[in-house]
Amino acid sequence: MPKSQKQKDLVMDSIVYLLLSIIALTMLYPFYYVLIASFNKGSDTLLGGMYLWPRSVTFENYRIFLEDPKWMKAFLVTVARTVSGTALGLLLTSLVAYALSHRDLLFSKFYFTLIIFAMYFSGGLIPYYVVLRSLGLLNTFGVYIVPSMLNTFFLLIAISFFREIPGELKESAHMDGAGEFTIYFRIILPVSMPLLATMALFMGVGQWNSWLDSAYFVQSENLRTLTFRMMEIINQSNAPMDSVAVANRPGGGVTSFSLQVTSMVVSILPIICVYPFLQKYFVHGIMLGSVKG
Amino acid sequence: MQLETNVTGAEVQRGQIWKRFKKQKVLHLFVGLGLIFLVIFSYTPMFGILMAFKDYSISDGIKGIFTSDWVGLRYFDEFVHDYQFGKIVRNTLVLSFLKVIFAFPAPIILAILLNEVKSMPFKRFVQTISYLPHFISWVVVVGVSYAFLSADLGLVNKALLQAGFIDQPLNILTSPNYFWGLAVGSAVWKEMGWWTIIFLAAITGINPSLYEAAEIDGAGRLARIRHITLPGMKGTIVVVLVLTIGSILGGGLVGSNFEQAYLLGNSINNPTSEIVQTYAFKVGLSDGRFSYASAIDLIQSVISVILIFSSNFIAKRVSGSSLF
Repeated sequence: MPKSQKQKDLVMDSIVYLLLSIIALTMLYPFYYVLIASFNKGSDTLLGGMYLWPRSVTFENYRIFLEDPKWMKAFLVTVARTVSGTALGLLLTSLVAYALSHRDLLFSKFYFTLIIFAMYFSGGLIPYYVVLRSLGLLNTFGVYIVPSMLNTFFLLIAISFFREIPGELKESAHMDGAGEFTIYFRIILPVSMPLLATMALFMGVGQWNSWLDSAYFVQSENLRTLTFRMMEIINQSNAPMDSVAVANRPGGGVTSFSLQVTSMVVSILPIICVYPFLQKYFVHGIMLGSVKG
Repeated sequence: MQLETNVTGAEVQRGQIWKRFKKQKVLHLFVGLGLIFLVIFSYTPMFGILMAFKDYSISDGIKGIFTSDWVGLRYFDEFVHDYQFGKIVRNTLVLSFLKVIFAFPAPIILAILLNEVKSMPFKRFVQTISYLPHFISWVVVVGVSYAFLSADLGLVNKALLQAGFIDQPLNILTSPNYFWGLAVGSAVWKEMGWWTIIFLAAITGINPSLYEAAEIDGAGRLARIRHITLPGMKGTIVVVLVLTIGSILGGGLVGSNFEQAYLLGNSINNPTSEIVQTYAFKVGLSDGRFSYASAIDLIQSVISVILIFSSNFIAKRVSGSSLF
């Protein structure tokens, strides 16, 4: 009996490890393939059969990418919107959350009802577009950052976080004659770093990955983001007869597809860089959200 | 006399509220700042729904929502008689249900598998990798799909051709036959790992002595999964299921129907990839028919709201756990 139990365990273990290895591989390999394709000569990649290593190593894809002002501009716009959108979103959301975290705040029931209702119901994309248009936000950089400044999901998380902060901290500051803004800025924010880090990472990733606003709320070529350019080249590299265009490209061997994978690496890289931090905080963050304060 | 004291009592109370409000005025200022954003970007669009019942033209601006002429249900009627109506509604429903059927059990299974792993480094490794796609934009996921599945450059097609399994490349990305599989597969790939976080947390909450007792009683590992792990996750499973069914038209757990269908959709796979949201979007922003598009959008929103409340109601009845 113990022996067969052990054998059973061994079989089960093998199945578990095998399945998980397959899952991990299907999640990891696509990123790996994109990476090696970006370091391979574009015309060579088109031949297929490259699985594990770049076959004809080149930095030409990155050179073309970096020298093209279109890509550089898209990259800078994306960085700018990520930095400013995250900073402003963090500031407004946490400021409002600070005020709402006061349990004795008048009308707080009314305020909470307004917020929660807005979380569950929305007017849909079309009326939203009309609002953006009337505000004159269309085709401006502001359309990337202004509408997302108040994040209702993180607002609720921040409120429950701020409520955990010992009241004595605030009271003693009040005694010393500090105003609300000073307390928020000098006392609440410094002790809320784990929360702010979680919010910053998620808002940052959201800004970085956003595509729709660049595609439909903006027409100016100067405001296009990396995701927009990426989608553009994905469509281009899959247009029929793209291989004909290969010969006309400068730099020899660079194809739309090799530029596509290069831009994908550039887009994924920052996320991989903040990933360890994301991981450290998001489990905590998602739990904060599910536990009612 | 009694009346008199009441009045003064109310007056005193009012005075106190005013005093409290004055003391809190900076805080209310902060909240007010937030409410401005809420009113502009959430509530004004809600009023904008009115345009579904009106003859709205974009040149009228926001005021036109209120001043344009009423047309009643004309646009709803038009959508129901739209020659694409049947196809669009079918695609929306089929895609949504397929996603729930596959995307809902996937993270539960992954969480159970991970829980059976004794080697911590291996467990952590698989977990770390499985979250990654959640943080990648849909555009990159579409790029990956093309890199692997496209008929001309896709790695999978090239490998299958070279191995002699197929004579012609499979038009996975540009054929109506494959779109549902492609959409469900890529959505599960992207979001499966992310949702395991919640299920793994539920498993962590199970008392370890239950496992020990079961082992002493001679329960095998499968029996322990069935009788301890799964029942221990029940509450979480119900809550997540309610969330999923409530948001089913948006893609459920993998909440991505719109962006995915829009980015992976093309003129060739359109017969299976066009859904209500993408159609409303095209009709509205590309053709400039704002009233018609809002009407289409509104139909979807109403169904979604009904689903949220009914799934919540059923969950409360069946298991006692619910969202609100």
